[in-house]
Amino acid sequence: MKPLVFVVSGAVFGFLLSMGRATDAAAIVGMFRLSDLHLFGVIGVAIATAAVGIALLRRANVRAADGSTIKLEPKPYHSAVLVGGIVFGLGWGLSAACPGTALAQLGEGKLYALATIAGILGGTWARTRLAQRAGAVSAAKS
Amino acid sequence: MQTWPFWLAGIAIGGFVPLFALLSGKALGVSSGYAEACSLGKPAGNERWKLWFALGLPLGGLAGALATGGFDVAASSSAIAEQFHVHGTAQYLLLAVGGALVGYGARMAGGCTSGHSIVGIALGAKSSVVATIGFMIGGFAATWLLIALAGGVA
Repeated sequence: MKPLVFVVSGAVFGFLLSMGRATDAAAIVGMFRLSDLHLFGVIGVAIATAAVGIALLRRANVRAADGSTIKLEPKPYHSAVLVGGIVFGLGWGLSAACPGTALAQLGEGKLYALATIAGILGGTWARTRLAQRAGAVSAAKS
Repeated sequence: MQTWPFWLAGIAIGGFVPLFALLSGKALGVSSGYAEACSLGKPAGNERWKLWFALGLPLGGLAGALATGGFDVAASSSAIAEQFHVHGTAQYLLLAVGGALVGYGARMAGGCTSGHSIVGIALGAKSSVVATIGFMIGGFAATWLLIALAGGVA
């Protein structure tokens, strides 16, 4: 499938995040402060809607538009999921942004999102690098 | 146009998940797009689409801001800076440190608010429920730490 299809899909997703105020730092702070429950509502309704849509997809037993099998697999559970989640959450609270919303914020003209995006790239790089090294070490041992 | 009420945004975002799967055969996610950006020096594998998807997000943000009249490049300060009185270089530092934790944590947990909290929980994945509990614990802790440091609720 062509890159353009994914760029357009990403643009649609970014538009929806923007219209849902997921890109609004005040809404994210408000969620954690419990002073503005809007985003809890968005996330809750989104999960329920996605679950119904996925169930319908499964029942229809269809293939994807490009003829491929639709792959919707649960992500593997391991011991780093909770700690990683907490680390992510600390960053979510400090930056009032997550990976998707930081990119959409940039498109909204909020240039400060460049600092957030640079940080996310740095953190992603650091963790990937560390995991590769640990992998290389354990591979050398075995 | 106004931004949408929570139920409309939730239906649209949640409904997009199966539509994207039907189009591409894939489960959408964003944080792995950053990982793709970090491995640009290597030959493109099966995951390059994640980078294209991530690069589309700013275009959508632009469309959203134009639709709601919220586009303003002069807005140099995040609401987080205003609420917690962190300005200038300190703001960018806070956003960059927060971002670094977001990127590091997402790779540890194997996903972010899109791939875990929305798609993963909708799939009934244990890993996604646990990761999202972690996201919430961290988010509440960081926000209330900032509130404490700023000297209480403004």
